[in-house]
Amino acid sequence: MNPIMQPPKPRLNANKRELLFTFQSIIVTSLLAFTAIAFFFHFNLRIEKGIKVIFAPFLSVVPLLFILSILRDLRKGFKEGNYSKDEILKFCLITLGITALFTGITYLLSKIDALEILLAAIMAILSIVFFSRSKIKDILGMSIITGIAEGVIVYMIFLF
Amino acid sequence: MKIKQVNTAFLVTLGVSIVVFVYLVFLGYDDIKTLKDIVKIIASILFPIPLLFFVRFLLIEHFLPKNSDAYKRKHQKPATLLLILTVIVCVFSMQFLEWISGQKLEDHLIFAHLINSTSISSYVLNYVLYNNLRVNGILSGVLLSLAIHVFFLTA
Repeated sequence: MNPIMQPPKPRLNANKRELLFTFQSIIVTSLLAFTAIAFFFHFNLRIEKGIKVIFAPFLSVVPLLFILSILRDLRKGFKEGNYSKDEILKFCLITLGITALFTGITYLLSKIDALEILLAAIMAILSIVFFSRSKIKDILGMSIITGIAEGVIVYMIFLF
Repeated sequence: MKIKQVNTAFLVTLGVSIVVFVYLVFLGYDDIKTLKDIVKIIASILFPIPLLFFVRFLLIEHFLPKNSDAYKRKHQKPATLLLILTVIVCVFSMQFLEWISGQKLEDHLIFAHLINSTSISSYVLNYVLYNNLRVNGILSGVLLSLAIHVFFLTA
């Protein structure tokens, strides 16, 4: 789906927000993949047990699919109008908090010395991303995934 | 509707700025030695993009430029003042920081890239979508002072 070749119909602000949200989640996904690859090469991770690599994703993907199937949507969707100043401030602070949290979590990820555990951890974070992508379709979800992306980037710039 | 064009412009500018930055990084600098340097530079270039998406998400309204004469006349003076003020403040603070820490900005590529990519991306975003002349003044000031600093004031 190429948004430049086939522009969708972003008539409503809510649709535009949804599109932005989708892009943001794509960015987070690629950043996490990038993190895994960078750590893999930089720390010369080894695979301790081959079978674990195959089963590592299931640990987080299966609960995710289960939760997604039984839970109703937590939010109604994106807002059409503008956000108020208080809301903007609140969600910027939430984003900052999650950024700090994920800087720490990425630091912990860099301490992992086996590939299969790193993969499992990355898959767990990705599951959180997809969970907020599909169920918290709201500014809160946007705050969360922006925080995750910025946390990973901040770690890469300043601490890596 | 102009909305489609504006959205396309948003994506195109993002893409173009990434390509230009990657090109500049790998063209100009010989001191990229390890994987770590590349990771850091890519990260510092990508830094503004999630933030821009977040800002766009929050401030979805007022995105079509209101290029009326009255608007320009009203904001001409404050924008120019902000531009001059930002240039002076930024140049002096960078000089002060270099003097205090005893290090050069050029030795810390990551920070230069970070400031550069953040201000250029927000400049493009503001120019294309919001057309806020005061913000335009501030961001132009930051970019100008960065250029003045790198070109003239570092021996």
